Amino acid sequence: MPVYRSVVCPFCGCLCDDLEVTVEDNRIVKVRNGCAISTSKFLHHHENRVEKPLIDGESATLEEAVKEAAEILKSARRPLIYGLSSTECGAIAKAIELAELIGGVIDNTASVCHGPTILALQTLGESKCTLGTVRNRADLIIYWGCNPLEAHLRHLTRYSAMARGLYTSGGRKDRYVVAVDVRETRMKRVADLFVKVKPGGDYELLSALRAVVRGYGLDVDEVSGVPRDVILELAERMKKSRFGAIFFGLGLTQSEGRHMNIEAAIGLVADLNHHTKFVLIPMRGHYNVAGANTVTTWQTGYPYAVDFSRGYPRYNPGEYTAVDLLSRGEADAALIIASDPVAHLPYKAARRLAEIPTIVLDPKRSMTSMIGRVVIPTAAAGIEAEGTAYRMDGIPIRLKKLMEPPEGVLPDAEILSLIIEEVMG
Amino acid sequence: MMELRLKPKVSGLSIPLEAEVISPDVVAGKTLREVEELRVYHGNRVETLSEYFEVEGEVAPNPEEQLIIVEGDVSWVKYIGAEMTAGKVIVKGDAGMHLGSRMTGGEIIVEGSVGDWAGAEMAGGLIRIRGDAGDLLGAAYRGSPEGMRGGCIFVEGSAGYETGTGMRRGLIVIGGDAAPFTGAHMNGGVIFILGRAAKRLGAQMKGNGSLIICLGEVEELLPTFVYDTTYTPTFMRIYLKTLSEKLGIKRAEEYIGRAFRRYRGDRAVGGDGEILVVERG
Ligand code: SF4
Repeated sequence: MPVYRSVVCPFCGCLCDDLEVTVEDNRIVKVRNGCAISTSKFLHHHENRVEKPLIDGESATLEEAVKEAAEILKSARRPLIYGLSSTECGAIAKAIELAELIGGVIDNTASVCHGPTILALQTLGESKCTLGTVRNRADLIIYWGCNPLEAHLRHLTRYSAMARGLYTSGGRKDRYVVAVDVRETRMKRVADLFVKVKPGGDYELLSALRAVVRGYGLDVDEVSGVPRDVILELAERMKKSRFGAIFFGLGLTQSEGRHMNIEAAIGLVADLNHHTKFVLIPMRGHYNVAGANTVTTWQTGYPYAVDFSRGYPRYNPGEYTAVDLLSRGEADAALIIASDPVAHLPYKAARRLAEIPTIVLDPKRSMTSMIGRVVIPTAAAGIEAEGTAYRMDGIPIRLKKLMEPPEGVLPDAEILSLIIEEVMG
Repeated sequence: MMELRLKPKVSGLSIPLEAEVISPDVVAGKTLREVEELRVYHGNRVETLSEYFEVEGEVAPNPEEQLIIVEGDVSWVKYIGAEMTAGKVIVKGDAGMHLGSRMTGGEIIVEGSVGDWAGAEMAGGLIRIRGDAGDLLGAAYRGSPEGMRGGCIFVEGSAGYETGTGMRRGLIVIGGDAAPFTGAHMNGGVIFILGRAAKRLGAQMKGNGSLIICLGEVEELLPTFVYDTTYTPTFMRIYLKTLSEKLGIKRAEEYIGRAFRRYRGDRAVGGDGEILVVERG
């Protein structure tokens, strides 16, 4: 019975790399060290699989499916390639090659989660560090608009609030923990200070903090429902910390203000670096969405929303982002890789996907695979295939292969190579 | 001016057409035949202008004398008048994204509304929009530090999010309402808002004489803008007269002699820009 040690978990942006997975008869039977999400996903990995390639719901051979996919992509004027956050970097690179070949638009799921973060980083730059540095050094940790207790279960114990590190051997008691959110989440119990901000009021609060850190007074009694005293005290605490870190999530990137919120947060962190060391790290959800951005950047110069229609890459979120392209009815064919946009995108965009010929590459059945004209099963990266993924702090980590994929099922990168060959003819 | 007319052959294309060739600079000096053959981009296909437009009229020897009239709704056409330096374009309906982006001279009149990024990073000339403008009017493109660097944009209707982001010089006049983050990152230039100004006006505005003038109601100012005085600036008279005489905004004159509340900011970035809000009553 093979037991794999130091397995990397491919289920969220933490990419915990200390799991122990036992495989018996090509089936995962035991998982150690994983959080509840991870354990359940590993143990149920064999369920709900796409078994055979499908064309219009009828089973087909891989060759037929690849041929049909290539035909669809070749004849499209505005093909869209989307997803990519739950596959490995090799597949992402292939997807970009294909996008260039067909003169299409390539976008990844960052456009609906941390796209605004990237926009802000491009405007202002970023002060960052690895999660290991946070673990070893941070004595002030702020969670803004994110709830790791529900989304990144081991974040607190492995990397942040509760973790014991080199200069934080006392763990939780060596750190001051702040949580900022629009409603009281379970983080309230973890935090020393819970700041409840009026929905849609993050931008104002961040601006006020920035002004105070810069040494201005505050002429108002409260900002976004937060009393002045709390703001003054928090600013002081930030300046006095030895090493501060802000983790932020969709509560900040997808609420009113979006990329401007992040600009304000980056600005705050930049200003704090005049006083002490401070960093900002986005809580990335899908395990390799950071990789999708990284690979797209190193290949095209841009992190997401890249249009190849004129032969060279162009970048403009809002114009070339999948949601916008679909909602405006622009995309006339789509290739979805390792993602379920029908379940997650706004109705109008999802409906468009059902109207146009859509090709779906996924190990599992999903709402998107149900509407797919062509569906091709894939080997799951990190379980049935090797590859590289990027952790939320931008650290590349090698994923392991633990078992064989079902017969005849190939990894994303290989299927994409076949489609590329077919398109090139 | 010599008039060239483009009559759309199709309507409401779902895949937009990129036609930066609809510009006096490109057209001038060509034959009608050559104009028909100009390249446009539809998705990943390269096609000719004549597949989408009937081309009639006269071509001028140089852009200064060239007038292009687009007869109909072209909300599906991007980049009309982009990078133009002289001459005039009139669109008799709506226009798509990037209209007049990076233009440095000449004039564009749109009788309908325009998509996002109109006048983005423009450096000179005049854009007049009779309808509404989309988001990022006169803004900086992503990753670029400066938006509008000169010229004038006048929208008679409302303007979308982040109008005038990163503006460095020039004038934007919004006849209707302004959406949130108007004048964000402004570092020079002037924005007039005649309708209602939504919140987060002038967010992260730096200074350099940046000025936002609100003649209508203001939803809310950021806590990092600080009130300093109420006064009746003399320069306002000249500005308002210019709006009335040069742009035909007669109602601007009603505000001559009125007092304004002055706010400075954005302190979040140590900025020293100004927002002037007209005193009610
Ligand atoms: S926290 Fe994330 S990476 Fe770590 S075990 Fe849980 S799901 Fe996997």
